[in-house]
Amino acid sequence: MRRKIILRSVIPVALIILAAIGFAVFEPIQVLPRIRLAPGYLLINQAAETITSEDVRGDIVVYNFGYSGCGDACASMNDTMREIQGRLDEVDVGDTDVRFVTVSFDSDTDTPPVLAEYAAGLGADPELWSFATGDPVHLQNVVKAGFEAYYEKRDDGTFTFDPVFILVDGWGVIRGEYRYQTSASDSDKIVHHLDILGEEIRNSHGAASLAYEAAHFFLCYP
Amino acid sequence: MSIVGKRVAIGVAVAVIGVLIAWYFVLPRFRPHIFGGAVIQSTQKAPRLELVSADGTVRMTDFEGKVVVVYFGYTFCPDVCPATLNKLAKSLALLGDRAEDVQVMMVSVDPDRDTPELLKDYVTHFHPDFIGVTGDEATVNRVATLYGVVYERAEGSVGTGYTIDHTSTVILVDREGYLKLVLPFEGSAEQIAADIDYFIG
Repeated sequence: MRRKIILRSVIPVALIILAAIGFAVFEPIQVLPRIRLAPGYLLINQAAETITSEDVRGDIVVYNFGYSGCGDACASMNDTMREIQGRLDEVDVGDTDVRFVTVSFDSDTDTPPVLAEYAAGLGADPELWSFATGDPVHLQNVVKAGFEAYYEKRDDGTFTFDPVFILVDGWGVIRGEYRYQTSASDSDKIVHHLDILGEEIRNSHGAASLAYEAAHFFLCYP
Repeated sequence: MSIVGKRVAIGVAVAVIGVLIAWYFVLPRFRPHIFGGAVIQSTQKAPRLELVSADGTVRMTDFEGKVVVVYFGYTFCPDVCPATLNKLAKSLALLGDRAEDVQVMMVSVDPDRDTPELLKDYVTHFHPDFIGVTGDEATVNRVATLYGVVYERAEGSVGTGYTIDHTSTVILVDREGYLKLVLPFEGSAEQIAADIDYFIG
């Protein structure tokens, strides 16, 4: 009799623990880590309008950093951005908008008309993809200190920089950093991550959100 | 009633009471805390900050051991800032004695008009323990940027001069100095108090 009672109380507890271990091991839900806060910024876009981090609050944004005079050094990075722009129908992010922002660190040369021409040449959809630059000191704070993307001006006016993509969610939290070119294509990885993020956003209300929080707790990261 | 029947009845009663006790006292401890904003698993400490208050230099590291609530605003702010500071004062009241482990700090996004003294008068009007900090424009801009905050001057009325549009989030830094939570302006005092309480531990 007594053994039965003990057994009956132990089984549910054991089941809960098993479920937790199962969750951690099999990762039925994957989420992107909430890495750190993205910087706030106030820049000027290719249409000579201000664009701020508040304008894109609520949207998922893919950032990259370059400049119009960058030539071949930016070619593969720009291809990746354009490829993701063309593959948005593959991801389901619900009502959330996905946007692209290319920040130029060459504010001397990259005036709005120059950026507009550069954007058109790359096949950027102006509704989705902004090109922006701003005050050089503010750019340093935003790009170098905030997004942790390195760049430095060379004596001949060109820039040395690290190719970086940053994925930011609607809360203004960095969810993905793509810094090293690997054998897997960056666009495949970023499109896949947009899909994971979309799924989390679509399930961010009610009971399902708890499962996603659990996924964060158990570090179910791709 | 037979002896067996009595035993069963007592057993059922004990079981029911046990379940009720578990329901009220044990379950809430296992229920995950639901935050009012976005939790961040930062592996880096909150961005460095060195600004001035009426009582001297203020660094983020001065408050290690306390939960720091950071808000960016300015004293001429017509609506959002007073509403937020009132809400934060109410959160501290809800926390009671535990509020000793909390430091609320307003960083001015209007260094031209907000002197440290003016800021002190302003924030202590909401709560005696609040501190207000500022710095030169370049420093404030850098700190705001790194805390995800952007601000911009806007035309105000003739009477008030310019106003400043600014990000109105409330940022929580945990006792070890990690930036952990970003709360939207809309959050209630109760929710903010519960989130602070979670990070006090």
